[in-house]
Amino acid sequence: MKSFSSFHPTILFLYYLSVIFISMFTMNPVLLGCSLIGSILFFSMMNSPKVVLKNIGYYLLVFILIAITNPIFSHNGETILFFLNDNPVTLEAIIYGVVIATMLVAVIFWSKSYSEIMTSDKFVYLFGRTIPKLSLVLSMALRFIPMLKLQIKKVNQVQKTLGLYTTDSITDRIFSGIRVLNSVLTWSLENAINRADSMRARGYGLKRRTNFSLFKFYKRDGILLIAIILILVTAILGFVFNIFDFYYYPAISSLEITGVGILEYIFVFILMIIPFIIEVKENIQWKLLRSKI
Amino acid sequence: MKKDLLVLAFIILLIAIVASGTKIQSVDEYYLTHIDEIAEDSETVTISIRCDTILDNLDKLSPQLRAEKYVPKDGVILEETEYVLRPGDTVFDILDRAVRHNRIHMEFQGADKNSYNSVYIQGINFLYEFSCGPLSGWMYSVNGKFPDYGVSKYVLKDGDVIEFNYTCDLGRDLGYEFK
Repeated sequence: MKSFSSFHPTILFLYYLSVIFISMFTMNPVLLGCSLIGSILFFSMMNSPKVVLKNIGYYLLVFILIAITNPIFSHNGETILFFLNDNPVTLEAIIYGVVIATMLVAVIFWSKSYSEIMTSDKFVYLFGRTIPKLSLVLSMALRFIPMLKLQIKKVNQVQKTLGLYTTDSITDRIFSGIRVLNSVLTWSLENAINRADSMRARGYGLKRRTNFSLFKFYKRDGILLIAIILILVTAILGFVFNIFDFYYYPAISSLEITGVGILEYIFVFILMIIPFIIEVKENIQWKLLRSKI
Repeated sequence: MKKDLLVLAFIILLIAIVASGTKIQSVDEYYLTHIDEIAEDSETVTISIRCDTILDNLDKLSPQLRAEKYVPKDGVILEETEYVLRPGDTVFDILDRAVRHNRIHMEFQGADKNSYNSVYIQGINFLYEFSCGPLSGWMYSVNGKFPDYGVSKYVLKDGDVIEFNYTCDLGRDLGYEFK
């Protein structure tokens, strides 16, 4: 069950906006760690353990790749480990790479859960009235990759049943993959035009046209909204008063631990794990109710 | 399967080419440079590295660099030092030798990586371009004149005096006017 997705679309959109913005505009390792933990916990609540492990394994590779890439291009930093082609490879650059990788992977995991939670009907419900064209384009763009993946799988299977590209050779399989991708890309362009036409045929974006939707603003939505706004304000105050400032070059600054700082970190951590907590609470409730039957 | 082996061999060849082009040195190996002894008849040049202008613009300096370690109180990173001029030495060769000899941090962009075909000095002693406002960076002068071309294009003569200065205002605070 995805109980977090049953909240009002406005709340969900505001939540994702604030979480992704906090993750993207800070280089503070504690905040980014909280963000990564929150995003992976929530992602693992929504998917089967097999999918989660597969994803974590893949993004671990991405993580390592980014962490290695930074010291090759950035040579700033006091602690020199060794020289590569007369350029220093420093500890600071490696740590900076690790932190950037954390940020990137965290934002990717947030986006993954976003695309599962904020389905296109919710997005169009929020923005279909005010910016009809842009919201249609955005919802189509967000759905583009999953749709492409599905279609590639279909075409691949059809090719296999036709008896094409069934050799063991990896090279042949790669070339067949490129051909399939080629055909699916042109198909997706055509599909986008078709969809735009069919939306117009249904009168999308006309002024007098009304939409039917079942989204109601309940009391729990209000509570969550207040909580998000309160935490967001404290976090912004933290940014304004430079509590989250952290430097990597030329030497890594030490993490200043003050009472206010710890409080700020706890608040942001709570914000990051709100969806996880809601899912866990709902799961426990479900199990309890079932055990009573 | 034959195709696979061919592709594999090609990838291994690529990795080998990349690996043969990289040189790994330890810190001590890198700083172990040979400095010629100054004899009576040898040609010499003088080099100094200063950052006085930052002291007047401390408010613009990035907060993580506000320490004695990076910006010395007197603004001198390397005081006037004499080095032996080898035939064909450019300003960059002397700078490279001086910073290695004194273990001063320096980062540069190679001559093949920009359109000027000359080395660009990005940072010395952790003071980088743009570290002290948007108009800041390193400039060099030889015998008090600011050449309008890169460090690795200036071939030195006997007795030249090289000065590296940090500017916070495109050189105007060093008495240089761009024409």
